[in-house]
Amino acid sequence: MIEIKNLKKYYGERTVLDIPELIIKDGEMPALAGANGSGKTTLLKILGGIIKASEGNLSLTGNILYMPQNSYAFRGDTVRNIMISGADRKSALELLEKLELSHLADKKAKSLSGGELQRLSLCRVLSKKCDLLLLDEPTSACDAKGAELVINAIREYRNECGCTVIMSTHSPMLALNASDRLIILNAGKIESDGSPGETLANPGSQWAESFAAGWKI
Amino acid sequence: MESFRQAFELLFPPDKELLQIIGVTLRMSFFSTLISCLIGLPLGALIGSKSFRGKSFIKKLIHTLMGLPPVVAGLIVYSLFTHYGPFGKLNMLFTVRVMVIAQVMLITPVVIGLTSSFIESASKPVIETARGLGFSGLKTARLCIGEGRSSLFSVVLNAFGRSIAEVGAVSIVGGNIQWKTRVMTTAIMLETNKGKFSFALALGIILLIIAFIVNALASFIVKEVRDD
Repeated sequence: MIEIKNLKKYYGERTVLDIPELIIKDGEMPALAGANGSGKTTLLKILGGIIKASEGNLSLTGNILYMPQNSYAFRGDTVRNIMISGADRKSALELLEKLELSHLADKKAKSLSGGELQRLSLCRVLSKKCDLLLLDEPTSACDAKGAELVINAIREYRNECGCTVIMSTHSPMLALNASDRLIILNAGKIESDGSPGETLANPGSQWAESFAAGWKI
Repeated sequence: MESFRQAFELLFPPDKELLQIIGVTLRMSFFSTLISCLIGLPLGALIGSKSFRGKSFIKKLIHTLMGLPPVVAGLIVYSLFTHYGPFGKLNMLFTVRVMVIAQVMLITPVVIGLTSSFIESASKPVIETARGLGFSGLKTARLCIGEGRSSLFSVVLNAFGRSIAEVGAVSIVGGNIQWKTRVMTTAIMLETNKGKFSFALALGIILLIIAFIVNALASFIVKEVRDD
C-alpha cells in the first residue's frame, strides 16, 4: 500500500506538488490526469525515487519500475538486443509480438518512429517483475491502434502479476479503459478522486468540472 | 599564391626544421589534450550528474575559467616555474613539459564545462530511464558514456583544436626556442614579426592541413563508432 501524507515539492519558491493525503491500495490501477504542469510527472518521479520530495511522508515498499514519458530506448542497439538484455519476466520476444514490434526486431532502435519507440520502452519495462509500475503518459506518442495495444499489454501485465499500476495521462481512452480510479490534479493539488465514471460524472469542483467536460466523449 | 607555393616547397620534400616543429606541436597538443581529458572528463561527469551545495558557484567558476586569456595562463605558469618561483628548482621553464602544463590549465576547464553540460542535458533521459528500470549506478554510468560517446569525442576534439591553435601561453612559457620549443603557432608569429608574411601564411596553411587531417581522422572514428 502507498501512503502519502503532507507531501510537498518546491522548485525554488514555486510549489509544484501539495498532497495532504493519498492512499493507493495494493493492486489498484489509478490514472493521474490534469493539465500540463499539474504535478502528474512530479508525483510519479517522487514515487519512483527519481526525485525527492521537499517535505512530507511517503510510505511504499517493494520493487518499483518507472517509465518516463520520453523513455530513452538506447538507440545504438537493435530492438532484439535491447529487449534481451535484462529481461526477467517472460520471453522478451513474446512481448515484442504482443506489441506488434517483432517484425522490427533486427532494426536499430534509432530507426523506429516515436510510437514504436514508446511501445519498445513499454516492452522493456514489462519484461521485468515489479510490485509498483509507474508509467508517465505511456500512450502519448501512439496512434489509436498503438494505444490499444499498450492498454491491453498493461492490463494483461497487471492481471498476471497483481501489481499496482499508476499512470499519468492526457488520454480519456487510457484512463477509462485501463484504470480503476481517476485522480485529477490541478496546480499540484488533488481536485477530484474516485472511479473514472463517477469522477467524470461528479467532478466535485468547478475546475474539475471544466476539465472533465473536455474528457466526456 | 606565393604562400601556397612556399607551403608546397616546405612540404615536398619536407623541410627538416618544419618536421621538427610539427613534431613538437603534435606532441604538445596530444599530451595536453590527454591530461586535460583524464582530469576533465570524470570531473565534468561528476559535476553534471550530481546535485550538491555550491554546484552553481563551481559552474560559474568553470565558465569563467573557460574564457581564461591564454597570456594570463602563461603568466601564471611562468611565475610558478621561473627561477625564483615555487617550482623553479625543477628547471622546467622553456621546455615542452611546461608548455603542456600551461595548455592543461587552459583546456581542462573547457573539457569540464562541456562534459558537465552534456551530462546534465543530453544524458538526463538516459539516467531517468536507467534508474526507472532499476539499473545500478555503474550500469547507468556505462550507458551514459556509451550513448554519449560521439558527443564526448567532440569534447576531446575541441580540446585538441584549442591546444594546437594556442599561441599566447606557449610563447611565454616555451620561449619559442628553435629546435626545442618552437611550435607552428609561435613560428607563424615569429615570421610575421620578421615581416615574412607569405612564409608565415605558408606555415598557417600547413597548420590548417594538420588540423584538417586530425579532424578528418577523428570524424572517421566517430562515424565508425556511431555505425557500430
